[in-house]
Amino acid sequence: MGKVKIKRKSTLIDMTAMSDVTVLLLTFFMLTSTFLQKEPVTVITPSSVSEIKVPVANVATILISPEGKVFLSITGDAEADTKDTWGSEAIRAEILKNAVAEYNRLHPSNPVNLTEQDVAVFSKINMFGVPFKALPEFLRKSQTEQDKIVSDMTRADVGIPLDGNRDLSKPNEFQIWMRAIYSSSNDNLQSMMKKGEGIAVKADHGTPYERVHNVLDNLQTLKMNRFSLMTALKTEQD
Amino acid sequence: MAQIEQSDKGGKKKKGAQKKMSIHVDFTPMVDMNMLLITFFMLCTTMIKSQTLQISLPTNEKLEQQDMSKAKESEAITLIVDTERNDNGDIRKDEEGKPMNIVYYYEGQAQIDTVSGASNIKKETFIGNDGTVQRGIRKILHDRNKQVLAKIDVLKEQWRNRELHPNKDLNDSIYQARAKEYRNDSTLTRPIVVIKATPGASWESLISALDEMQINHISRYQIDNMNRTDSLMIDGYNRLNK
Repeated sequence: MGKVKIKRKSTLIDMTAMSDVTVLLLTFFMLTSTFLQKEPVTVITPSSVSEIKVPVANVATILISPEGKVFLSITGDAEADTKDTWGSEAIRAEILKNAVAEYNRLHPSNPVNLTEQDVAVFSKINMFGVPFKALPEFLRKSQTEQDKIVSDMTRADVGIPLDGNRDLSKPNEFQIWMRAIYSSSNDNLQSMMKKGEGIAVKADHGTPYERVHNVLDNLQTLKMNRFSLMTALKTEQD
Repeated sequence: MAQIEQSDKGGKKKKGAQKKMSIHVDFTPMVDMNMLLITFFMLCTTMIKSQTLQISLPTNEKLEQQDMSKAKESEAITLIVDTERNDNGDIRKDEEGKPMNIVYYYEGQAQIDTVSGASNIKKETFIGNDGTVQRGIRKILHDRNKQVLAKIDVLKEQWRNRELHPNKDLNDSIYQARAKEYRNDSTLTRPIVVIKATPGASWESLISALDEMQINHISRYQIDNMNRTDSLMIDGYNRLNK
């Protein structure tokens, strides 16, 4: 009896095709998606049938947390390589300087002093929301500590204060910020805000109207009465 | 990783013939790496861009009484959105898990009997469509804007069949322009909607109300603040319809 010879088969699988597929998938994801921006609170926006997209450049986003805390995010021109355009970082630095100068003019007794280092740190932050007084201390903390502070909604020194909005000779901090954003050197941002596309209000679907109204009322006082409300896409027929 | 194999079949080859080499490169680590990258992109990026609803509000400056354009009574309809909340202030949900957003509405002027609390306010919900039939507040708004919607329906049919223009983009833009014309056609009876929200109304309910304006092609609407009469009317309604 002869031995049965077991044929040795190679277990090598040709992965080339698989690799092709994954590279294609990767390319697709890289081209179609945009990176998530870091936000202090994750909000679920309500949905609407509107098909107008949020602009990517030159927009000031106002985020309202369910607790009513307000955060701001500023984006400048998308292409910031020429002299006439303002990238996000340049525009943020300028707005910060103007806003702080305005705050110090209104509150001469205890001014806020920021170093160039602080301004550089600020311009890298996507979304901010601390009162002016807490700003120097906040900007000197490490990034992880900063994230921890702004995501803690129970703290009193988180969120831009917006009380007492009727008297524009004594604007509140939110109004100082919005004016500084509006009067920045970036004309494109200003024209977008005039058209109503440059101000986007983002709030969670469960937030009581009272809290959102507080922000809208401030904008109305500032005569920025055209703005857009961020929503998600609703999939419904007609 | 990569190996080079020599193929020799029993040494029957002629002398001087070139040896056939086949190169195998193992792509498994490449696939691994790609999968990791894909996972990274899937988790850290978003494909959906937010949509926006564009609105304009009036300024806070007090207007003189005569400057205010009074809405015609027959055209006016006031919506007051509200959300049912439990004692903790959390939004109540119905059986399907949808938040209970409600909308009170009245047509024309507010009429209230201050003694009994009876008024011309009614209550509806946001329930959208059932197939092609409008329900809830959508039906009421749809009926009020019937003339415009009838014209737009005809237009929509033409747009679907590309009768406006064979080119797709031009077809779309003609459709948009004509629809806008119909929405603002002053010869048709169109409603003027005033949207108000109670302090406890969820943001979602206000957006739903604004969304109904888009769905029903209502061009004249505004967001206003609640006044005393409105809250009295809601109180009265809820007392009478317990």
